[in-house]
Amino acid sequence: MKSTILSIIILIIVGALVGFYLPWYAMGIQAGILAFLLRFPTKRAFITGFISGLLLWGGSAWWLNISNPSALPARMAFLLPLKGSIILLYIFTGLIGGILLGIWTWAGARLRQK
Amino acid sequence: MKIIKSAFPLVIALFLTYAMNQSWGTIPPFGKLLSPYHGFWINAEQAGSEEMSEEELTISGLIKPVKIVYDEMAIPHIFAENDHDLFLAQGYVTAKDRLWQMEFQTHFAGGRISEIVGEKGLASDQFQRRMGSVYGAEQSFEGMKEDPQAKVALEAYSEGVNAYINSLSERELPLEYKLLNYKPEPWTPIKSALFLKNMSFVLASGTDDLKMTNILRKYGREVAEDLFPNYPFEESPIIPTGSPVDFKPVPIPAAPAAFTGLGSSMSTPEKDPNIGSNNWAVSGNKTVSGMPILANDPHLTLSLPSIWYQVQLVAPGVNVYGSTMPGTPNVITGFNKNIAWGVTNVGSDVLDWYQVKFKDASKLEYWHDGQWKKTKLRIETFKVKGKKDFVDTVFFTHHGPIVYLTHEKPFKSNIPVGHALRWIAHEKSQELTTFYRLNRAKNYVDYKEALRYFSAPAQNFVFASNEGDIALWVNGKFPLKSKLQGKYLMDGTDAAADWQGFIPQEHNPHVLNPVRGFVSSANQFSTDPSYPYYLGWQYAPSERGRRINERLTVMHKVTIDSLRGLQNDNMNIRARKLLPLLLRSVKSNEKALGILKSWNLQNSPESIGATIFETWVVNLQAFLWDDEFASDDKIPMNRPSIDRTIHLIEQEANARWWDNVKTKAKKETMDQIINTSFKATLDTLVKQHGALGSEWAWYKHKQTGVRHLIPGMDALSRLNIPIGGGSSIVNASTTKTGPSWRFIVELSKTGNPKAFGVYPGGQSGNPGSVHYDDLIDTWAKGELRPLLYLDNANQSTSRIRKKITLSK
Repeated sequence: MKSTILSIIILIIVGALVGFYLPWYAMGIQAGILAFLLRFPTKRAFITGFISGLLLWGGSAWWLNISNPSALPARMAFLLPLKGSIILLYIFTGLIGGILLGIWTWAGARLRQK
Repeated sequence: MKIIKSAFPLVIALFLTYAMNQSWGTIPPFGKLLSPYHGFWINAEQAGSEEMSEEELTISGLIKPVKIVYDEMAIPHIFAENDHDLFLAQGYVTAKDRLWQMEFQTHFAGGRISEIVGEKGLASDQFQRRMGSVYGAEQSFEGMKEDPQAKVALEAYSEGVNAYINSLSERELPLEYKLLNYKPEPWTPIKSALFLKNMSFVLASGTDDLKMTNILRKYGREVAEDLFPNYPFEESPIIPTGSPVDFKPVPIPAAPAAFTGLGSSMSTPEKDPNIGSNNWAVSGNKTVSGMPILANDPHLTLSLPSIWYQVQLVAPGVNVYGSTMPGTPNVITGFNKNIAWGVTNVGSDVLDWYQVKFKDASKLEYWHDGQWKKTKLRIETFKVKGKKDFVDTVFFTHHGPIVYLTHEKPFKSNIPVGHALRWIAHEKSQELTTFYRLNRAKNYVDYKEALRYFSAPAQNFVFASNEGDIALWVNGKFPLKSKLQGKYLMDGTDAAADWQGFIPQEHNPHVLNPVRGFVSSANQFSTDPSYPYYLGWQYAPSERGRRINERLTVMHKVTIDSLRGLQNDNMNIRARKLLPLLLRSVKSNEKALGILKSWNLQNSPESIGATIFETWVVNLQAFLWDDEFASDDKIPMNRPSIDRTIHLIEQEANARWWDNVKTKAKKETMDQIINTSFKATLDTLVKQHGALGSEWAWYKHKQTGVRHLIPGMDALSRLNIPIGGGSSIVNASTTKTGPSWRFIVELSKTGNPKAFGVYPGGQSGNPGSVHYDDLIDTWAKGELRPLLYLDNANQSTSRIRKKITLSK
């Protein structure tokens, strides 16, 4: 359990750094590389990556909107369409991030598995 | 085997990543779009604080540093030391706020939408290019380059736009690029030409020739001329009757032989945009200040980002404020210290069709003036997203392009097949020179000189100066025609049907300081029938023009605020005339009838009378005319105007047109048609809004909205705006069109002009900015904002929020 939490923290920190400088999908690839190098257990790999992605994307989106409020998230929540709910927009953003990191973490871990 | 098994998730990961990096039809690339580090989240712009901020930016290509100050509406005031730097900075700041719009609009104009949206954009793209939009832009670009100042302006503007594009990283791209998943390409001067040409598309591409020929074929010339008269029964022309004529007309060409074309068409939808404009100038002897006041409100499709962008441009020799259109240098309508000017569209007939007779199926030769002449071929290549390139050949006669061949289905139902297009928008032209000179004009002489360079789309240029002059020129390049030439489709083999040159520019209708103390225009007839040349047989309905003229005639002690009132005038003078005529025939106990009888004739936002009347007019026109003039989709026809209908009610109660020819057994009377249309009106409204009540309020029925340029993007639009008015009302706000920029300027002998303005949008094109739509509420209320006219960059005022210095 402890190691899972540690893995999540590492994925989030490295993911954020990668996000600042590299294309968006690099946030997924980094999770795969880390899962490979740090030998993440396959069984919990997807959920580890998924939670990391969910927190990283959902949390960052929340933080951005709190520190820099604008009408844009509400507009996007109508466009996507999420009935204008910004909460749903955070969750949706988190889900996409979760799936991205989850799949890549799983892929990285499985590649390592002999 | 094991390897495959352990690599399998990797394949899934790669596929999923790829999938979320692509757009699928209208589904955006979710990964890229939603990433908080790359996607839309970072397009959010915090509302600016009251604190002033300063910034320095480096831009290659500048000769000297440029200072830009932004006011509280985020309007840039640009101070440069030479023209080149001025236009470079204009390009830069405009792109900074409106890059996506500039590129999207020029892609549309150039027939390149399918590069962004794929195959579904192809029909529109092909139509644009077949109409010769790119050809026309190339022609006018040649003309523009001949003026060295315009060339500098175009090139420097391009440099500025590109400096901004090059400064952008992928994650900084405007929102729409992220939604539609593409990237900006470099800007080029020809794009500015494309944009200007597109204004001819917007304002001077209306064409009824096909519909009129269809009427001619079905009912004959006498009926066609009777129902579609060449001057309205009620009119108040732009150039007041009796204005002095200061030129000797050139001879009018002989009329071509009578011709009844093949007409007809295939069924396609057609949009009928409700666009027009108002402008006027009141002379000093009618104003409180003793100085002229000028007002203008061009009516265009209301869109977000707004079609207009406000700016002040200052450099040696120029200090001008006004609205520009993103994509072109200079100010289009506005004022400087000495003069103010504004525009409305001229509805003259500058687009004609010639029925072409080809020698054979190769279409390489056509018959004209007694001989076979060669067509010219132009190849247009369309890059279609996700598909192979589409290559199209356009055939040109000496008239212009054959927009659709006889077997093709036109994009719009008013476009005839098998006809060559002769259109003013294909002429070489120098519109930029006009704006460059107007921006710097000091008096009437400068204004008059500036107008000489303007071809299309022809505009009513209203003018006022601090020397006390007011003037209006109906200005553009007008073909020299015989009377009614081009009302119907013409014979492409007859040389006498060709355009025979142009009306000399100095003979264009104009008026300077008329006795009545004001000049005005609202797209109505330019002149009364005594004007020696033929300009067109049909203009916008005269109500707005008549109302403006009746008000300005009685207004005294005019102020900026009283003219603001006139811009927002909701009086329905069509109803003033038509409603009593209708009511005398109606027998009904409906409550709605009582509402109509007590209606104050104002199309105010809450009015229910306005809703009933306006819907009734639509139904009346349909019940009266559609059995004869809209019975076959494949043969589109014009419907007689309201002006003609009113005349029919007043003078021709027994005309054959009242009978509904679809009911063979019965013969309907005028009273029956009026009553049935009234009943149908109430039925429609009950169906739409429920029982008579507050849901019938005019603004709720009319649904004025300012819509994002991408069709259907409601989330980025402002809908259901509480505003009154209507299409024949001075406050011309309809469902999709309306006053796209209202401004009023009072000139001053010694000081700076006093100016107020607003447009339904905001300076920023970014839906994540407060300045995206912050002016809409002010606009809807009919209020104006004071416009900040600065003398220099360091002037202290509490309205400045941001300063940027651009240097090499």
